[in-house]
Amino acid sequence: MRKRSFAYFLIPLLAACGTTPDERPPTLEVVALSILAPSCGQVQCHSSSTNLEGYAFDTLDGSRTALRKLVGVGGTNPNNELIEVLTADGDKRMPADTPMDEKDIALIEAWIADGAPGL
Amino acid sequence: MRLLLGIALLAALAGRADAYPQFQLSRDATCTGCHVAPDGGGILNENGTNTSEQIAWKGGDGEFMYGLDRPSWLQLGGDVRGASGFIQNGASNVALYPMQAEVAANATAHGFSLHLVGGLRRPQSGGSAVHVLWSREHYAMWQQNPEKNEGLYVRVGRMMPTYGLRLAEHVVYTQRYGGRPLYAETYAASVSYVNPSVEVHASAFIKDPIGSPVEQGNGAALYAEKRLGEHAAIGVEGKYSSGDEVHRTFAGVTGKLYLPGPDVMLLAEAELIRQKIVVGAGDTATQLAGYVLASKPLSAGLMLDGGIGHYTQDTRVKGLTRDCVDVNLHWFMTAHVEMLFTGRIELLDLGSGTNGGYALAQIHYRL
Repeated sequence: MRKRSFAYFLIPLLAACGTTPDERPPTLEVVALSILAPSCGQVQCHSSSTNLEGYAFDTLDGSRTALRKLVGVGGTNPNNELIEVLTADGDKRMPADTPMDEKDIALIEAWIADGAPGL
Repeated sequence: MRLLLGIALLAALAGRADAYPQFQLSRDATCTGCHVAPDGGGILNENGTNTSEQIAWKGGDGEFMYGLDRPSWLQLGGDVRGASGFIQNGASNVALYPMQAEVAANATAHGFSLHLVGGLRRPQSGGSAVHVLWSREHYAMWQQNPEKNEGLYVRVGRMMPTYGLRLAEHVVYTQRYGGRPLYAETYAASVSYVNPSVEVHASAFIKDPIGSPVEQGNGAALYAEKRLGEHAAIGVEGKYSSGDEVHRTFAGVTGKLYLPGPDVMLLAEAELIRQKIVVGAGDTATQLAGYVLASKPLSAGLMLDGGIGHYTQDTRVKGLTRDCVDVNLHWFMTAHVEMLFTGRIELLDLGSGTNGGYALAQIHYRL
């Protein structure tokens, strides 16, 4: 009985830890609202209230505008500044306060490779 | 150049002076034991001022501006903070930045009060002055028992909806990702009931219609905490926020335990977050955030914190997690001056990804 109770607890917990590499759809909405907003769009950084460097990532419209500059409509910007700053080695690296997860960067790259739909 | 970039870019760690729930069960049973606001933070009352004197290395006069003459119906406060150090975000950078410059006033008469916190925040690039000089909080409050600091409190105005542990450091995962990011104050109507054995806070809020809000949804928040004996408490929390782009639901539990023998305060919080993108193709993600903090006062005004945090960004994605170990050494030099040495080691995907952290020295001057 105790084993069964433990299993009831453990199975949902393990399921909650994720089992596949990345199920997230590589869409503008996920890139903007799930990745860039919490990482880059904090109030003191690239938010609508500070608009640092002319970028605001805290809303979908703000991200769309910024991403058009950074990756180009259709993801055609040859100097992909977004990936460049996310992976830079020196003081250009962003986000400034904490690293972005490589799986998030990979999803952004997949979205760009797909033609950056939604821009 | 690196230093200048640090100044320009690392304001993400800017903050606000907030309550120290570490003191709640070890020094007094409720937030209102030390603070004017029913959920803590901001202006200290007489007991809070006395506590600030008692815990400091060289206490001194803890009153506003060292005892500046003021009418008895007016409480004043203010905070200035800045920090400097190193941040590892995948690359090492020097950081130096102001964090906070605010003044606060609370005018009270016959159980009614008007509360205002105003100050400076980072200017908008090419923006207007309204984004530099602003008021983070302003509300009217009615208090049932002003003499006892317990009972009903009703507030209407701009404030942070009361929810979960209100730790001072907003970089704590349950703050940053758990529904209480920096400057997420809203316009709200809030009812609180506080007594030594239980406290309940319920708020209905709307996003700030004037500025560019951090909290971009309208919704409600609830926090209820029950004391278990003299030295323990458990709480439940919930918040729902409905925005034009994202709906978020937060649910969690808190626990507080004071160990009188070693004089250690333990605080814990765990949250389940459901994020639903409601524009475009949409998407729904489940997130987890948790934090455990152990806090011990030392001699000479020192207090040592050790914290462990976990954040699962999306439960569908294996390894999309970050865990951290925090160490904070607070030095309450006087009743007005606090030095804080804070460090974090942050592991992404349990250390298999790019890792981060920081080591910062922070100075906090309470007016």
